[in-house]
Amino acid sequence: MKRKETAKSKMQSQNEKRIKKGVSQWNIAWRRFKKNRAALAGALIVGFVVFLATFDALIAPYAPNETPGFYTGETRNPPSLKYLFGTDYIGKDVFSQVVYGSRSALFVGFASAGIAMSLAILVGLISGYYGGMIDNILMRVSEIFLVIPFLLILLVFLKVINVITPGGGGLSMVVLMIGLFSWAADARLIRGEVLRVKESTFVEASKSLGASKRRIVFRHIFPNVLHIIIVLTTLMIASAILVEAAISFLGFGDAAAITWGQQLQKANEAVKEAWWEGVFPGLFITLLVLGFSLLGNGLRDALDPRLRE
Amino acid sequence: MESWQSLSMLRYVIRRILYLIPLFFGVLIIVFVASRLAGDPVRLMTVQNPRITPEARQNLSEYYGLDKPLYYQFFIFISQLFEGNLGNAYAIRGGTAVTTLISDYAWLTFELQLSALILSLLIAIPIGILSAKKQYSKLDVSVTTTSLLGTCIPVFYMGIIAIIIFSYFLGWFPYGGAHSILPERYPFGSYLLDELWHMVLPTAVLTFATLAPIVLLVRSSMLEVLRQDYVLAARASGLSERTVIYKHALRNTLIPIVTYIGLYFGGMLAGAPVTETVFNWPGVGRLFVEATTKLDFPVIMGITVFITLMTLVANLITDITYGYIDPRIRLE
Repeated sequence: MKRKETAKSKMQSQNEKRIKKGVSQWNIAWRRFKKNRAALAGALIVGFVVFLATFDALIAPYAPNETPGFYTGETRNPPSLKYLFGTDYIGKDVFSQVVYGSRSALFVGFASAGIAMSLAILVGLISGYYGGMIDNILMRVSEIFLVIPFLLILLVFLKVINVITPGGGGLSMVVLMIGLFSWAADARLIRGEVLRVKESTFVEASKSLGASKRRIVFRHIFPNVLHIIIVLTTLMIASAILVEAAISFLGFGDAAAITWGQQLQKANEAVKEAWWEGVFPGLFITLLVLGFSLLGNGLRDALDPRLRE
Repeated sequence: MESWQSLSMLRYVIRRILYLIPLFFGVLIIVFVASRLAGDPVRLMTVQNPRITPEARQNLSEYYGLDKPLYYQFFIFISQLFEGNLGNAYAIRGGTAVTTLISDYAWLTFELQLSALILSLLIAIPIGILSAKKQYSKLDVSVTTTSLLGTCIPVFYMGIIAIIIFSYFLGWFPYGGAHSILPERYPFGSYLLDELWHMVLPTAVLTFATLAPIVLLVRSSMLEVLRQDYVLAARASGLSERTVIYKHALRNTLIPIVTYIGLYFGGMLAGAPVTETVFNWPGVGRLFVEATTKLDFPVIMGITVFITLMTLVANLITDITYGYIDPRIRLE
């Protein structure tokens, strides 16, 4: 009986503390996120790849352009203690190449998602808040971007740029193109969310106090759609990595960069002789995309107010 | 009553078609501008040839009508399009008509994509329903995990793995292509069986890739519907679980899935270059990769227009089905 009471009073004092300190929505979300094992696994995977990319030169046993197997005749050698993931067609160490590829993959993911989401946020906010004619035009444009066969257009653009300025643009050009063509779906989702928040009473209150449009959009609407933007960005990173891998696999990526997609392209020419050339880079693409997807789903469960108990 | 219904349906279909036309033109304009933004196609075609004379370039320009102003070229492109003429290829197969090229390759693409789409729907819908029915069970967890993994593996990687396992290690299926080179290698001497034999691996891989997101969608849609009041009412009135799920819940579960099928099919067609490259499948996707490598703009434009048109038709079919399943949508 007594124990129960002390437990109760302990809880009460904890509750009081909580009230005093104040628990923000972000704190609640973080608590929910911590309990989600799948989301933590996703964060762990992403963290692991970030670690690989940061210390790539220390982790990889060979330099990016080194071909240790070339002079010893160890080309397309199966995995061994010396070459953990085997060697490729010119005797490069596949493990080192995979490690260096992590940096490209993260760059592609973050930069493409940055471009695409900036556009999506801009279009979503303007379209949702101002409505009317601007909304109509922006939504028709986004529909065009949704039906356009976007991979085909990307391939043509990248090929043409490569012919005009050989080797020009590089990985940044690939990133720019992916970003410019993948904003439409997310812009529509953000717009929908803005429309929902716009009708809230606190926006009404702010309006009646004479707040400027800019203040309403940036102080009231933006923070309230931020949660969906975070989730969409995480998922966009995953899909951008997949798109870049496909482009590189088809041979339209940046030939000078070390990317997992390109390693798969080379491997596809020799599946009969050297399975290890493709299996390992592909495994890392899958792992990283899975990491961002788990993270994104976990964030959605933690942040989406409609799922809150 | 019956005639009123069909009239509202007809009106709805016409409205959808009118809505898709500007969309189609929008895509056409973007594709046209994109292909010309890069500069003069003749210069691009001859950039690797240092010995070409200005006269030869001029002749090429005139031959393809590229010396005319841009809006005029677009006008010609559109008017030819309505006659079913997409121009002639610059390089592929010695300047064959693009429509001939597409009709030669499109069937193989459709064969692969449609069978994968139909198979994945047939498999995904029951699995998704079962998974939702037994939410949080071992079955549900393994289904959702596998599906999530399926959405994260690049299709071409799945293809490479399948080829390594089933062609290289087991030797059950061919490495790629749509037919054996030598007729002696046809199973039982049949051309059709040979094609089916070549189709197994690409179809299986494409089905798995398409299946994964649909399973997740069916599952979440079913869970949503099972929470509705009318399902509770149906259960409360003593109907069997079977009747509740397959008669009351299923129809409403299918609504969001139908809307996604059009989008999926468009996405699958646009992804054709990737799947067809892995399996060396001679469809429009691989033709597109070849045309892009050779900067054969009429073929590039032709295939893009073709795939966009197919996507829009798929969307239209989706819309019509949607209007049929959910009559409320027709009156919007």
